[in-house]
Amino acid sequence: MLIREATEKDLSGIMAIEHECFINDAWSEDVMLSEVVASHTFYVVVIEEDQIVGYAGLSKLPGSNQADIQTIATKPSVRGKGFGRALMNTLTSKAKELGATEIFLEVRADNTVAQKLYNVFGFKKIGVRKNYYQPDNVDAFVMQTAINHKEPIVLGIESSCDETGIGIVRGNQLLANVISSSMDQHAIFGGVVPEVAARAHLEALTPVLDDALEKANLSLDDIDAIAVTNGPGLAGALMVGISAAKALSVATGKPIYAVNHLVGHVAADILANGEVATPTIALLVSGGHTSLLLVRDLLTDVTLLGETIDDAAGEAFDKVARVLGLPYPGGPQIDRVAKEGNPTAIRFPRGLTLPKDMAEHRYDFSFSGLKTAVARHVEVLEDKGEDIQLADVAASFREAVVDVLVSKAINACKEHDVPRLLLGGGVTANARLREVAQARCLEAGVELRIPPFDLCTDNGAMIAVLGAQLIMSGAAPSDLAFGANSTLQVTKVQS
Amino acid sequence: MFSIALDTSAGTTVAVLKDDVVLSELNFDENMTHAERIGQTLSDALTKAGIRAKEIDRVVVGAGPGPFTGLRVGLAAARFFALGANAELVGVCSLDAIALQFYKQNPSAGSLLVTTDARRKEVFWAAYSGVSNGIPTRVIGPNVNKEQDIKDFIDIESHLRTDLLATAAALGQIAFSETNTELGPNYDVSPIYLREPDAVPGKGKRVSG
Repeated sequence: MLIREATEKDLSGIMAIEHECFINDAWSEDVMLSEVVASHTFYVVVIEEDQIVGYAGLSKLPGSNQADIQTIATKPSVRGKGFGRALMNTLTSKAKELGATEIFLEVRADNTVAQKLYNVFGFKKIGVRKNYYQPDNVDAFVMQTAINHKEPIVLGIESSCDETGIGIVRGNQLLANVISSSMDQHAIFGGVVPEVAARAHLEALTPVLDDALEKANLSLDDIDAIAVTNGPGLAGALMVGISAAKALSVATGKPIYAVNHLVGHVAADILANGEVATPTIALLVSGGHTSLLLVRDLLTDVTLLGETIDDAAGEAFDKVARVLGLPYPGGPQIDRVAKEGNPTAIRFPRGLTLPKDMAEHRYDFSFSGLKTAVARHVEVLEDKGEDIQLADVAASFREAVVDVLVSKAINACKEHDVPRLLLGGGVTANARLREVAQARCLEAGVELRIPPFDLCTDNGAMIAVLGAQLIMSGAAPSDLAFGANSTLQVTKVQS
Repeated sequence: MFSIALDTSAGTTVAVLKDDVVLSELNFDENMTHAERIGQTLSDALTKAGIRAKEIDRVVVGAGPGPFTGLRVGLAAARFFALGANAELVGVCSLDAIALQFYKQNPSAGSLLVTTDARRKEVFWAAYSGVSNGIPTRVIGPNVNKEQDIKDFIDIESHLRTDLLATAAALGQIAFSETNTELGPNYDVSPIYLREPDAVPGKGKRVSG
């Protein structure tokens, strides 16, 4: 998908869609041309496979703080693919850039699909023009949205697993990102113990907040809003951050936004690269998650393509490390040992890659069988009294995990025609994952983005910047009644 | 002095007080909805009392004992409310609030045994001898034991029992009474867990027979 400013040469492509969409009330070619070339208008076309599949126009008179969306249309045969949303995104961004503080539009009273789209962009119905659309005698709804030019200072609180994170952003700019991990306390258990994590969150919250405010050189009075992770994650851990955030909101009178942890990982790219270029595939791999997402729009169009059906990838590293007698957390240990090993020494299974599995679990992952295969391999050798080539086992195991992760992610890029892959989650620290992802993305012509590690691992800054995007898009604060949702769906960006 | 008191060791309870006079009080008995309730309940208690958050001088929190997940909701909320409102933070044993209510209703009563559900067939408990200057006199506890084992610590027969629940109003009153004592209020707001996290280091298991 490509969106560019329209020129005179696009007129025939535009008019073809105009006639297809507006059967009784299409604009004439002369009117359309004068609008496209006028100096106070901004018309764009969206191109897919060298064809114009949609267009939209904005009008903004110099000196006025009001902008109007004049028209927007997409070819009926390509609807539901996010082109309309992308056009709206372009126009609202342009209106903001031109200094407008309000945008208006008119929509047919009977076009509920379009009204729904406008609602997503914060438009509210403010009036009715009777019988506006002729000759059909249909009313027009007048809709309006306000543009927030101020870049909000948002405090983000994250406590979904074993990291207590508080971050502060101003709009898209990172001001502070403080993380306190309880990882060391889980080491003797070989994995995250929810009660241990929750206790650690309670103790870490206040020092982490103080530290974040100090790093940002701000006081609580400077904060405009609070964002907090409400899922997915460990319920008891999430509740600590949620309760603290709610009380802070009531005590300071600042609005609160309950946001999705996984979408937060995607939003981290804004802090690293200034934006989440869309569409993108996102592969989120950590001790708690292994999820493959298709992101067409950060706030309005995130879908889950697949996820692990048993262990998360990071969990598999921890469990195999234990089998191999290596300390917790397993990821860095296996990475270290595997450096000297041969990744093709042992052919460990690639979960859910057989044709029969691919039919049902094309983008899903499974790592528990792989862990068992490694354990069995080790036990067989031990029983025979033979030496275990630790480096080879580690390298071969790591290769199996990385191979499945990257193969499925690249498949998703190809099959959804998406030229970008974003990595997130703590497992992105794995050297081999980065290496293989880089090589295969290059080969497939896919742009790879991996934010710096402290934005990849669980952190409060990604939650803050997601909250900031919601605020800047005009989203209303969350109702105080939200709770922890350990299985929160990725489609629910804000609760 | 304006206080806001809260406790989530059993249900969710919030009160706003001027000194020891209760201006508003909200109690919810459910023991699974603390995180959902806490924000709105804090807000509603302030509204009902006609007090703005910035006017609050002190946050009083029930430090437990109580089921861990719910208990932490109150402690996390109290800590961040105090930061946000620039108020001092005071902790009170949640069982003391039950004792105070009991003695208010039974001023001439003698020894009292307070127990609350600690799950896993155990109870959190403490024993009291009465009230002195508005503060329950705790003789022993808080502890966690099987109910039938409490007799190893006290003479159960000579203790009265109660099924009252902790209220935030009572917590706020205890904290206010403590202000007038030599020791002053308790600024330690560590949760009273009484049990270690329920986790043991696992042993490696064979996967092949």
